[in-house]
Order: sequence, then structure tokens, then C-alpha cells
Amino acid sequence: MTRLVCPFCGPRHLREFEFHKTLPAPGAGEFASVYERVDSLELSVEHWQHVGGCRGWLLVRRNPSTGAVLDCRLVGGGGAA
Amino acid sequence: MTPRRGTRVGPDAVRFSFDGRTLHGQVGDTAASALLAAGVRRVGRSVKYRRLRGVMTAGPEEPNALFTVGTAPAVIPNVPAPQLELREGMVLRSQNRWPSLEFDVASLLQAGGGFFGAGFYYKTFIWPSWRTYESLIRSLAGLGEAPGACNIGPVAVEHLGCDVLVAGGGAAGLAAARAATRAGARVVLCERDPVCGGELEFEGGTVDGRAGGAWAETVVAELRAAGARVLTGTTLVGGSGGEMIAHAEPGGLAGANAVYKISPRAFVIAMGAVERPIAFVDNDLPGVMLLGAAERYLARYGARAGRDVVLFASHDRVYASAARLAAGGMRVRAIVDARQPDEIGAADLRDALGRDGTECLAGHAVLAASGGRAVSGARIAPLAAPRQARTVPCDAILVSGGWTPALHAGVQEGGARLYDPRSGGFVAGEQPEWRLLAGAANGQFELGPALADGVAAGMRAARIAGRQPLTDPPPDGRGDAAPRGRAFWRSPASSAEEKRQFVDPQNDVTVADLRASLAEGFVDIEHVKRYTALGFGTDQGRIGGLLGAAVLAEIRGRPLEDVGTSRLRPPFHPVSMRSLAGWRVGAALRPARRTPLHDWHVEHGAVLESMGLWMRPRFYRANGDDAFAAGIAEARRVRDSGGIADGSTLGKIEVAGPDAAAFLDRLYLSKASSIRVGRSKYMVNLREDGMVLDDGIVLRLAPDRYIATTSSGHGPHMLSHFEHYRDTDWSGRAVTVTDVTEAWAAIVVAGPRSRDALRGVLGAEWEASLARLRHMDFATGRFGGRELTVLRASFSGELAFELHCRPAIARPLWEALVAAGLPPYGLEALDILRVEKGYLTTAEINGQTTPFDLGMEGLVGLGNDCIGRGLLERPAFREASRPGLVGLRAADGKARFLAGAQLTDRAAGSRPLGYVTSSVYSPACREWIGLALVPRSHAAAGALLLARDPLREGDVEVRVTPAVHFDPGAERMKS
Repeated sequence: MTRLVCPFCGPRHLREFEFHKTLPAPGAGEFASVYERVDSLELSVEHWQHVGGCRGWLLVRRNPSTGAVLDCRLVGGGGAA
Repeated sequence: MTPRRGTRVGPDAVRFSFDGRTLHGQVGDTAASALLAAGVRRVGRSVKYRRLRGVMTAGPEEPNALFTVGTAPAVIPNVPAPQLELREGMVLRSQNRWPSLEFDVASLLQAGGGFFGAGFYYKTFIWPSWRTYESLIRSLAGLGEAPGACNIGPVAVEHLGCDVLVAGGGAAGLAAARAATRAGARVVLCERDPVCGGELEFEGGTVDGRAGGAWAETVVAELRAAGARVLTGTTLVGGSGGEMIAHAEPGGLAGANAVYKISPRAFVIAMGAVERPIAFVDNDLPGVMLLGAAERYLARYGARAGRDVVLFASHDRVYASAARLAAGGMRVRAIVDARQPDEIGAADLRDALGRDGTECLAGHAVLAASGGRAVSGARIAPLAAPRQARTVPCDAILVSGGWTPALHAGVQEGGARLYDPRSGGFVAGEQPEWRLLAGAANGQFELGPALADGVAAGMRAARIAGRQPLTDPPPDGRGDAAPRGRAFWRSPASSAEEKRQFVDPQNDVTVADLRASLAEGFVDIEHVKRYTALGFGTDQGRIGGLLGAAVLAEIRGRPLEDVGTSRLRPPFHPVSMRSLAGWRVGAALRPARRTPLHDWHVEHGAVLESMGLWMRPRFYRANGDDAFAAGIAEARRVRDSGGIADGSTLGKIEVAGPDAAAFLDRLYLSKASSIRVGRSKYMVNLREDGMVLDDGIVLRLAPDRYIATTSSGHGPHMLSHFEHYRDTDWSGRAVTVTDVTEAWAAIVVAGPRSRDALRGVLGAEWEASLARLRHMDFATGRFGGRELTVLRASFSGELAFELHCRPAIARPLWEALVAAGLPPYGLEALDILRVEKGYLTTAEINGQTTPFDLGMEGLVGLGNDCIGRGLLERPAFREASRPGLVGLRAADGKARFLAGAQLTDRAAGSRPLGYVTSSVYSPACREWIGLALVPRSHAAAGALLLARDPLREGDVEVRVTPAVHFDPGAERMKS
């Protein structure tokens, strides 16, 4: 995985982006969402920011085993690629 | 002497020196070929046993001929001689010897008691302690010497995107690149040699009826004409996540390096194969060389590995090689083939060689190289009867144990390797769709099939990249017959002789070492590697790795595929540290952010310090040459009369919109919605886990418009933090977040004289505002025709103002303030002033402290449901074991103690309770003062603790005080 397709900026090199966190499991409580991480071989749902570009916050779904990016959208919805 | 002729050398002479001797080579020579041609057989000593060594290979995997190039201190060590192109006047030195190559003191150590095998040092030098011997042993250990200086300039880094990347410009690589290019794919081809062609350069094969070398040139011309990038002298060294890294070191010497980061859609690995040695006694003697290397030296440089040679192999290709060597003027005394007669093909070649006087032996092996300081003969015996050995005189033994596919790029990131009986080695297992192997790297050692393999890979790669390949017939290649070899790893030897059967010459690993490793219980190949050093070094196990694994398999009585080889890791070939740095050297290491007042600071003797990316004045030289004295002078002046500081680096985030107030309430511990327009408030952010994230002053400009300031170092992070919540929890709400850090310069005006001086500088129109401003009020207006905000706030405990102005007027405003008698102060003074007042910076807001820890109960009490508030309510945060912020002074009122010192109670051997977070010499208190985090149970004022700082200050007895050291009633600030 060396590039992300930003919904605003198109395919850009990974060095323009900053990883923020892996999202907690849906429905996790306050404590769990801060301290517990979903650690899946197939699917990781993450927040990234395009700091070196549009500064948009991105919801990235990817396969950590292969590095394949399944989906990259704006976190608040909209601007779908 | 007539000049040598070869594909790579011209007739003109090049002068160079080797170990102080002046020698001559020819233009195009490498250091290895020139030394070989000059008859220099000993080129270095081995790293551990200090054995004399000669050139063994013709490639970057050379284990012996590693030179130190240049003159001290800016030398470049460990340069493989076969890669090093000679330049006029080049100075070369052999390595791992003292005082000279021919006479080495350390080698005598080995001669006395036999060899020190693997594990010798660990086991021997343990009494009384390894440290006793460490410096002596370390002085003998290691490869080459480290340079004392570096004269190499920045290295260009190029990012390339392409459809198809082909690594390797031999027959298969060229065929793949051409097929992909013809399909319309954008192709990048990396070839580690200065010219493409690989084996085609010397094997004498034909492609489509033309000489192999000529065909290679035509293909390169076609690729270039079609727009493909052909990068010669460029090795693919590694990659990750689909981005491959290629490294160019022109001429084999750091100086004009380049790094390519290539993101291809499809990747064809055609990096060929590495020839393997065979283990026999003294197989490291100068004069023992790989057969393919001897062929390369002859064809490329006209340099002969020897006059009378013995060949030792176990495959059919040795006979074609022998014919070429003989044609080149070398006398092939004998060909020793370890296979039985019925396994051997190439009958015609053998007959012809026999007629020319070459003895072709089947079922035989070279048991040992004979000779003292170089090969003078080969001891040969039938495998069935090793005792019937005889010596054939020769000056070189050319060895070929078969070829190991160079599959590194296919498995460096993990992935299976499969045993390949054809090559006796391993090929890459299942690959991701975009990664293909072709040619010898894929186990295809015959020219015709390798070309077809290359074309097929190129067409598949083009298809993966979305191109439609044409159905071209593959080129018709006719070269040496298939090797049809049988893996043969080592000749018979007695157990005493096994100490001289080298499997990995670079690390002096012998068959005996492998046995020792097994006896010690290090059985797995990865353990054996670490116990014996098998496979370490600049060749990364390409020479000895597989041979070592095979011998291990033999000793253990297990098949090689079960033993496996140690993991192949990047880089494929050593990369200069300079290349890793790229262009990020010196000032280009990272961008520098400069305030609008930067030039003034520099012109007026400021010593600058970086904080994040910002450059900030630390102190001004006019106030003293060292930071300590200048800081004290500047701080004292602020308290006595006044001073100004550049605060432009503060992060400033404008938050606007109908939901701005509610948004900030969510982000801050106390409420922004309760700030009145024209007022400001000191506010604190929490992380989600309840720890304090940052602090700053929030100004309310209008009901729906705020500016939040952040600490200087945290600015970029806080901006992302604001944007994150705007886009997640608050998406769809009416709020905007805008970074205005660089839209406003900030000048801090502090001290008793600050108001009077400002009156004079800002003039009559500001008179009323300045008189009206209470603590934390601000006023907006204009100065010099531009916007100006004057905020009355203090980070020094003095009457103070922050002037937020447009950058264009920052300098005139600053200069006017200086002219009004307010001299500048820097970070040193700033730190003294804030520690005197117990104000916080990142030393205290360190990500591990809650608002309770930092004495902010008042802010928590205001009860705002902000981020982190829920987890802040956890009971453990209220316990007495949590740290509390306190002040510290030396018990004797004099002693110095420094930030970082651990605080303990006064009992001997007690464990640290907390530590000193900040300390300064306070001109106001006339002694050292500090801030510290200690458990609340120990935080009572007057408690005595020890500040332990064994490496700097020793132990200092300190007394706990309130965190505010100076003016606790804040009279000065409110005056």
C-alpha cells in the first residue's frame, strides 16, 4: 500500500497522509472505544487525514494482510470517489 | 605490452594505487579486473581468521575483494572491487590486515592454536567480564574502517510511477521489457551493470540469428525510442507495500548516487541467478574463483584468472565454459565433474576438449586447493576412493556448484519459497498477481526458454497494467545447453579438515562451525545463522547461504527443502548511508518555519533554536555569550522594566459559524460559550482518555467567531484535532475551522513599563482601549493601516499584552517597541519567567497528566461535557498515588538541580517517586527553583526529598514548595 485515492485529490502517495487511529468496534462504549482496538487480519477500518493535501479526514477500509485498500471516503460522508 | 581486449575495456591506460603500489589498468577496467590482469592475486584478508584472499566473483556479491577507497579521513570502506570502475589516480587499500596485507599480526593468533570456531569469543572471554576484552576484540572485529569524514553530496531521490517495472536487463528482463513496451505499457527497466545483456555479453549465444550482445543493444535502443526508462548501473535493493526501491551508485563508488522509488502496476523480477561455490579444503585460497566470474573477466576485460586452470563443477555447462576459456588462451588442465559418467552430457564438447589436452574426469572431486599463499595445484580424487588423490598443478581452480535463483525481490516481504530440483535451490512460491518472476530468477537457465519466460511475463504484466499485448513470437535464442546439473555441495574431508572447508568466505564460516552450531543446539537455520554468522555481511548470503544450508541438511540427514535458507531481507545489496539520507541533509533535513520577525532576530544577534519546525530566538548575544547568563539578564530586565518577545509561533485557529460556541465547548474542558465578546479565557483541551492535551487562550471576537491559540509546538497537531472533530462528531454542523497561525504575527509586551511604552507606540487612538483593558480583555483596531488586536494576558506574571498584528506591520511595530525602550527577550528568559510563576509547558503537559494532577480542579469543577470528560471521572485519577504539580527549591537555598532528576525520599535505595519537570535559576528568587510531579501523598509543602541525578549533578536535597514561586497573589499582573 503506497497510495490512497483521496476523494478530493485523486490518487496520491501515502507520504501525504497521516494515520490517526483504527476505529473501535461498532457500539463500543467510551472506555472500549479509547482503549480497545479491533485487530483483524482481513479488515481494518481507520481514520486518516490528507495533511499534505486537502486536509480532509478519510475513512479507510483496508486489508492489513495484503495492504489492499478496499475503500477510501470522507469520514463525514459526501465527496465519494 | 599489448592492451587487453574485451567488451568493456578500451586501450588507454589508467593509473591507480593498491596498498601503496602504483599499478596500471585500462579504461573501463574494474579494480578487480585490473588487479587480476596485473597478476595481483592476494587482495585482502578475511574478517575473522585473517586468511589471505583473492578475487572470487565478478559481481557485487564479492566476499573477499572489498577495498577502502580514497585517503583518510574521507574514505569509503567495503567497496566490492568487481563493481569499482577504475579512475585515474584512484587510491585503494586492502582491508582486515595490520600492518600490511602480506604480514598481518592478528593472523598469527590464529596460526598458533588453530582456528577460533564459532562461539569461541562468547565462551572464552567471560572471566572476569566480557568488558575486560571488549575493546581489544572490537578493534580487531568488523569489516573495514569507518570513514572519519564524508565528502559526498546530497543524493537525488526520484519517484517514478509506471505500468511495468522490470528488474534485471539480461535476456529474460529485456524480453519482458520489450513485450510490455510493445503492448503500450510505460516501462522502467533497472539493470545493475553499466550495460544490459547479462549472460548474453559473454556466453556466445545467438538471438534471432544475431550475436547476443548485439541483440541486447538493439532491444535497449528500441525500449528507449519507445519512451521506456532504462536505468543502468541501478540495482533493485528492496521495496515495501508495492513501492520498489532502486539504487544507483555509478562506477560502484558513492559520489553521484541516485535513489528511485518506483510504484509500478506490475513488477517483473528477472534478476538472474548467483553462482554457488563448492566446499573443499582451503577453497578460500587466492586463485579459487567462481567459473562464471572467470568467464566474465575474460570476455569483458581480457583478464585471465590463471594460465593453467582446473575446473570443478557438477553440470554440463562447464564444458562450454571450458571451451571459451581455452579459446581465450587459458590452459584447461582438467575438468573435474562430480557426476557419474552416465549423468554427463555434452559429449562433443568433451571430446574436443580431450583432444586439446584437457583431462575430463567424471565422478571426481577437488579435495583441496594446495599452495601456501595462493593456489599452486588442485588435489583431485575419485569420489569412490578419496584416498587415491593426486595433485594437478595449476594456478587457479574455477568452481561452479550450480546457480541459485536471485528471487530476493519476490520474498523479501515474506512469502513461501519452493525447493526447485532443477537448480538445487529455491524459487519463489505463490506471488501476488502483480509480481512475476522470469528467466534464471524463475529457475529457467537455458537461453531459449528464458527468453520465452521473459516474453510471457512481460505480456502478463502489460495485461495487469491494463494494456493489450500483441501476440509476438518469442525471440529465437540459441545458447549453452541446459545445465542438467546435480547439486554437489562439498567434497569428502576428515573432521580435522572440515575446519578449512569454507561455506561462507565472507564470515569465515566452515563446515566445522556448522557442526559446532548443531552440537550446541542451534539447529534451525535462523539460529545457525546467528550462531555462526552464516549469511551475514555485504553479500547477504548470496555466496554461502544456500551452500551452508545444504551442508547443514547433509549433516542433519534431512532434505534441503526441510532445512530451508534463512530469510532474505532487504537491502539486496548494501546501500550507502548517504543514499538513505537522500537530499535530506543539513538545512534540507526538514523545512524551517520562520516568523515575520525572523530577519530582525538574525540581524540583532539572536541565537535561534528550533521548536517543531519553527525557528525561535533562544537569547540575544548582546546580553551575554552563553544562554544561561543571557537568559538571566533578559528575565531580570522584564521584571525590572519590561521587554518584548516574538510569540508568532503560537498556533492560532479561527473557529466560526453558528455552532462555533457549542463546538468549542465540546473541545475544551471549560466553556467557551460563556466567554463574552471582547474577552478571552485560559482553556485546556483533554484527550479522549482524560489526559491534558494542550492549553491556550481562546478569544471571542464575535458571538459566532473565536480564535483559539495553541502552544507553539502543538499547533499542527491541534489543527488536525479540531478538523477531526469537525469532520466526525460534528459533521453537518455549521462550524468552520481555519488555520490562521501565519495570518497573525504576535508580539508579547511584558513588564511594569509595558502599558506606558505601548501608549507611546500605538498613539492616541489606542489610549482609551489600553486604559480600559482588564486582565484577559482584548481590543481590536488598526496600526499602520492594518488590523491589530491587543490582548491583555500574561505568561510571565507581569503586566503584559499580546499584540496580534498582520505580518506586514510586525517589524515596524517591533522596532517601535524596541525604540521605546523595551528590549527583546528569548526562550531562555521566557522559561525562567514561567517557572517562577508555575505556568505549564510540554514538560508538565506531557500526555500523562490529568487536570487534577496539574492543579486545575477549578476548571474541572465548571462541569462541561467535553471530550475526555467521561474517562477523566475514573476514580483512580483521584487517588493519592497520582502525581501532583509542586514547586521545588534546594534545601540549602543554593544548590543546583536539573530537570530530569528523579525524586526519592531520603532513605537509601528508595525508588523514584517522581521527577523534576523544569528547573531554572531564578533571578527574582536568587536561587534554583523548579517544578516537579510527585505523588500527592508526598506533595505537602515543606516535605524534603532527594533529587537524584547521578550522571550530572549528584544528589541534591530539595524542599517541596507551592508551584507558584514568585508573586503568589498575582499583584504585578493585575497592576
